Amino acid sequence: MKILSIFLFVFVAISAHPVLAQDPNLLLKEVRLKLEKVTDYSAQVHIHANVPMIKIDDVNAKVYFKQPNLFKVESKGIAILPKQGMGDLTAFLTNEKGYTCALNGTKMLGSIKTQVISVLPLTEGSDLILVKLWIDPLKDVIMKAQVTSKTNGTLDIDYFYTDQVKYGLPSKLVFTIDVKKFKLPKSVAADLHQTKKKPTTSKEAQEGKITLDFSNYQVNKGLTSQFFKQK
Amino acid sequence: MLRKNIINEFVKILAKPRSYIGIAALTLLIGIILFAMKADGKMYISFVTASFEQTLSFNGHILNGNLIAFIVLQMLIVHIPLLVALVTGDLLSGEAAMGTLRMLLTKPITRTQVVLSKIIAAATYTFILVLWMGFLAVFVGRWVFGTGDLIVLNSDGLVILPEADILWRYGLAFFVAYLALLTIATLSICLSAFADNSIGPIVSTMAVIILFTIIGSLDVSVFDHVKPFLFTTHMASWRSFFSDPVPWSAIWESIWILLAHNILFVGLAIFQFNRKDITS
Repeated sequence: MKILSIFLFVFVAISAHPVLAQDPNLLLKEVRLKLEKVTDYSAQVHIHANVPMIKIDDVNAKVYFKQPNLFKVESKGIAILPKQGMGDLTAFLTNEKGYTCALNGTKMLGSIKTQVISVLPLTEGSDLILVKLWIDPLKDVIMKAQVTSKTNGTLDIDYFYTDQVKYGLPSKLVFTIDVKKFKLPKSVAADLHQTKKKPTTSKEAQEGKITLDFSNYQVNKGLTSQFFKQK
Repeated sequence: MLRKNIINEFVKILAKPRSYIGIAALTLLIGIILFAMKADGKMYISFVTASFEQTLSFNGHILNGNLIAFIVLQMLIVHIPLLVALVTGDLLSGEAAMGTLRMLLTKPITRTQVVLSKIIAAATYTFILVLWMGFLAVFVGRWVFGTGDLIVLNSDGLVILPEADILWRYGLAFFVAYLALLTIATLSICLSAFADNSIGPIVSTMAVIILFTIIGSLDVSVFDHVKPFLFTTHMASWRSFFSDPVPWSAIWESIWILLAHNILFVGLAIFQFNRKDITS
């Protein structure tokens, strides 16, 4: 009887764990619950952009976030950030009625065995077409995301975690953006020294990378909504 | 004697009401640009960043004095040649038209010195005009809009220059812009040496600028060998200081070509004025 009880306990425990149960909704719920632990945060961020057609030095800035989707960047100089994948992805995932998901198997990302989940938005007229997430089921954090939208094409985000993994907050984000749509207005781009256009057909010329290194996270310090309206 | 004549020529420039048209026009135009940018500058920025803004967000103080100075320089450098030619175009022919040229030549200086003194006075006037534009664009612009990184759109894409790396670029850009405007001044004086009326050299100078600009902008291979030698091609080379890295060889090439034009126009003016039969 004792052996049977142990067997039953193990069976229930295994079935209930989202990883082994292979339930993408449960897996996403675990991620969401972790993200929802953070009502607000601020962090220092070092931005390194390597984007074709944009020449910019590294910039230090401060970012602020408050649930559900308030996001603010403070920077002394000009800082460029991807339009998608910052606060909006968290906001999208926390609205569980706004999407449906399906499991696409497992994939090794380095030494981590991730569960791949496709998330389809249910909102009509949504700019998002598909969000693909690589989730570490042991830590319940997103390791990689691929966001496909109508306006921006495909955006890949690689997540790296250190001390703030308990909140699901990354220490580093690497955005790979699609730059095929970048075009220069001819009237302002006239360069009298340049007579022939450089070819831009290589893959590197169509992809850009923006790396954000976060530090000095201040989590749940009670940022007000008013703060995000201030210029 | 040459120094005295230079001062005399400069006083003559200052005595003409039209010399102040340039200063007044610059002040008014830059004032209008500053007002327009203060009222609706964000639209200009979105025009520059439009194709990037679908994917990227630009954060920080973009509409600042450094950007305003760049916009001012870009907008006005096309029109300032007219203001320069308006004053320098009749320095020789105006005297001929008024009948004061013979009296001028009774001074104990050579004809070459007369031309040189007029050219130096014209160069000083052009310098003051550029200095005034620089003051209004950079310093008043920074005072009204504050400072910050400079975002520039060129043929390679967007260049974002850090605030600390900008002032020297403006200094050199204004120097090259001055050299370009000096070319206009010497061209108009050169044409002035051939004419006996005030308006002819001014209109001719503008006609040459328009002609060369059109040739330079025509995408026809026939003109490919000519374009690099037209001074109008190099009038916008001040913009190169806002590239990263700075294309020094291209800038030096522009400086040499502009200097060569200046020497050519000054030489032609001296040659023509020395052999001119002065009858008025």
